[in-house]
Amino acid sequence: MSQNDSHHDIQQKPDPEALFQTLPFPVQKAFETHGGLRDGLVIALASDLSPTGSFGEQWLLVDDLGLQIYSVEQGQTHLRFQTSLRELEDTQIEPAVGNALLRVTVNGQSHNLVHFSNELTEQFALAAHFLRQRKEDADLPAPDFLSEGQRCLSCGKRLLDSSLKVCPNCIQRGQVFRRLLLLARPFWRIGGVHIGLMTVGVIIDLMPPYLTRILIDQVLTKQAHTSWLLWLVLGLLGIQIVRVTITISDALLTNRISTQFAAGVREKMFAHLKNLSQDFFDRNETGRLLTRINQDTEELQGLINQMSSFLLYAVLVVGIGVVLFSMAPSLGFFVLIPAPFVLVATLLYHRRMNPHFRRYWISRWRLNSMLNTFLSGIQVVKAFAQENQEQQRYHERNQYSLEARLRVDQAWGRFFPLISFAFGAGGLIIWYTGGRSVLSGVITLGTLMAFLSYLGMFYGPLSAMAQISQAINRFVTISQRTFEFLDEVPKVQEKPGAKRNRTAYGHIEFDDVSFGYNPYFPVLKDVSFLIKPGELIGVIGPSGAGKTTLVNLICRFYDTTQGIVKIDGEDIRDITIEEVRRNIGIVLQQPFLFSGTIAQNIAYAKPDASRQEIIRAAKASNAHDFIVNFPEGYDTIVGEGGTGLSGGERQRISIARAILLDPKILILDEATSSVDTETERQIQKALETLVQGRTTIAIAHRLSTLYNADRIIALDHGRIAEMGTPQQLMEQKGLFYSLVQIQSQFARLDGVPTV
Amino acid sequence: MSSIYFSMDTAHPPGSDAKVPESFETVFLDQKAIRFHHDGHNLTFTASDGTFYPRVTLRRSFPLSADNLYVVVRVPEAEPDRSHELGVIDDCLELDDDSRKAVEHELRSYYLVPSIQIIHTIREEFGFLYWSVDTDRGPKEFIMRDSIIGHVRQVGPGRWLVIDINQTRYEVHNFDQLDEHSQDLLKRYLLL
Repeated sequence: MSQNDSHHDIQQKPDPEALFQTLPFPVQKAFETHGGLRDGLVIALASDLSPTGSFGEQWLLVDDLGLQIYSVEQGQTHLRFQTSLRELEDTQIEPAVGNALLRVTVNGQSHNLVHFSNELTEQFALAAHFLRQRKEDADLPAPDFLSEGQRCLSCGKRLLDSSLKVCPNCIQRGQVFRRLLLLARPFWRIGGVHIGLMTVGVIIDLMPPYLTRILIDQVLTKQAHTSWLLWLVLGLLGIQIVRVTITISDALLTNRISTQFAAGVREKMFAHLKNLSQDFFDRNETGRLLTRINQDTEELQGLINQMSSFLLYAVLVVGIGVVLFSMAPSLGFFVLIPAPFVLVATLLYHRRMNPHFRRYWISRWRLNSMLNTFLSGIQVVKAFAQENQEQQRYHERNQYSLEARLRVDQAWGRFFPLISFAFGAGGLIIWYTGGRSVLSGVITLGTLMAFLSYLGMFYGPLSAMAQISQAINRFVTISQRTFEFLDEVPKVQEKPGAKRNRTAYGHIEFDDVSFGYNPYFPVLKDVSFLIKPGELIGVIGPSGAGKTTLVNLICRFYDTTQGIVKIDGEDIRDITIEEVRRNIGIVLQQPFLFSGTIAQNIAYAKPDASRQEIIRAAKASNAHDFIVNFPEGYDTIVGEGGTGLSGGERQRISIARAILLDPKILILDEATSSVDTETERQIQKALETLVQGRTTIAIAHRLSTLYNADRIIALDHGRIAEMGTPQQLMEQKGLFYSLVQIQSQFARLDGVPTV
Repeated sequence: MSSIYFSMDTAHPPGSDAKVPESFETVFLDQKAIRFHHDGHNLTFTASDGTFYPRVTLRRSFPLSADNLYVVVRVPEAEPDRSHELGVIDDCLELDDDSRKAVEHELRSYYLVPSIQIIHTIREEFGFLYWSVDTDRGPKEFIMRDSIIGHVRQVGPGRWLVIDINQTRYEVHNFDQLDEHSQDLLKRYLLL
């Protein structure tokens, strides 16, 4: 096969085997016809869309000299674009809806080259990145698509086969069970006891029909040993008592195992959760995390119980089977006749019923979430007089929920009798064939009766067993999801040997930093600056310019995509994360108070602070006065989000928190933007105390808060547009100047220097 | 808020008066006087005053409820004079034929929302649904997280959006027009 040969040939090159996915021969030929050099090929990347926007095939081919785009339609290869790399000024990825496109700039003119669906964004972004970098460094090694390729959905590891979405490692059930067993190690012994009890229980379960058989045959029918009656009944009673004892103790045991196991997993998950970096919380909405930690573990617990009953049923089914066949081999065979019906009926039942249950459950969830939204937004509803609309909306959802419930009940009503019939029919077969055997004297009446009682015990577990594959599937899924979570590696990693215990000075440096939450769509581009200890720096710019992102990098909530952030001349990655954060105090736009007392909230970052320190911090933040006015003073409990406090009060408490920490670097992220002017003045006063002797970075929309800044950094579209003292920037009449002009249209800003 | 003012200051359409007070009125383009053309790579635009733009992009204001109405014409973010709105096409169908075709092509490229026509299979495994479908853009296989909440949205009677793991939306335009097999699969897996 020529295709494979060429593929193989290229792989001999030291460079980029991953590029040459399987470049079709016609495309390769066309490439060479148009002056491309196959041996110089550095990028061969296929898009999954055609030029018309349908699913199709296009190729981006780049060799040492040029770039070409081919479309392949109905076996025909067309050259769509060609340029030499020398003329290529810029290469970018532009996001669209459900797809993205590769755009190049040649001779000052932009061209949309090729669209590709979302799954390929990463690879094309890498190619674009390569083309940009190559301008500066002609010897740049070709991008390694393999190492940057698609990742496993479950574990995030690199996928070698991009047609798979989950790596084989994650699909192996054995692996999951092995890990579960390892997790369950503390319960191995108690689990052994449980299995022992279960087996004894099954053996005991098998005994009563045996005794009734003797009772019927020897005592009642033949009336030979009438004195046995009492003893047999007593025996049955004894068995029942033992059985009840075992059932109770076993249930207690199983519940203890599953509860403790689930609690352990929950604990593990939380412990892991707190270590994950910010990007993880960006990617996963809170709701899903809550589900993971609460519901999944709960379900895991239920499933463990279910698994252990499956084990019980399996033993029971086998045990009864053996007894039945040994009692009357001919009848045993008849028992098996309804068995397939029971299995099929059960499977059908679950297949039909489960969607109904899930639909009902979702309708309830929607109803609840609507109620929740309504209650949180009640003021808006009333203010806009939309009660009727809400009523209507609730009515619709409630109606839907009602219908969903009806469907559950109706399906249940239709199916349940059918299931019972399938079960009952099995008994009838035995009554008939067994009855004939009794009549012809092959077996005794007692044997038949025993048989029928065993039968009652047989179909139940058998029917339950029919669900086993579904339950195991669910079990694996949930466990898998749990492991997937536990395997999540924090992106921001502590370097081994990172430094601790040093005194910070508050010197900050950005050295050519680029960063994007999605690395291929940078939010900050080539940002460099230097902040001296003790400086007050204002960061301004239109929303979306990257102000908060800048701060996120200083706190090392994220690692840069490119470039270095230095604190006191040291790469931030060489300092322990704890050390970095201990030297940084943040006051956010929306202050967050934990449920607890005001004192606890102020001392949050320094729980061993003395009362005197707390009061000093509160005084410095201008909060002391209002706090002591509360009936419970510093012991006032503030709820989640700090109910009962005004925005300004909450903000001042959060400032006190930052003051108490006494950080070398202070970050004010729009600390005063959500409060009224008077409160702002008070907060301003509090902040003035706070910024003394610290490096302060203040993000501000209200430029009035920056009048005493040493320097202003103006960001625009992720780049530094201007940097200098407020006076300088006013003179430059650039971005800062225009923003000031706009704001002074609203209010005369005292203190803002005008020229 | 500052971005509004900001764009007003620095990103004026060439030729327009820089002192125009801010207006929130929609600027409808004169559909008979404007021209769109697709040059193989870019959508070009000729305004009613004859100004030529070598590369513009389009955005639907109501991609679901009115995909041909209120289509915004913009200079892309990446162009030297930055992203700004040139105006709004009231109704794409009113454009002259060539322009309409160019606009439709651009919209189809920008909005990749395949419309599901036949569902061959849906397979559930480990919390993911594996779909194999025929769409208006050709056959496709995709994977979706098996969670109805968040990944399936009803956008109208019988009309649904299914969002796959790459955040690509697939549309079921009209449930009733699907074949029975497809309907059954949707009912079973999406609980419609």
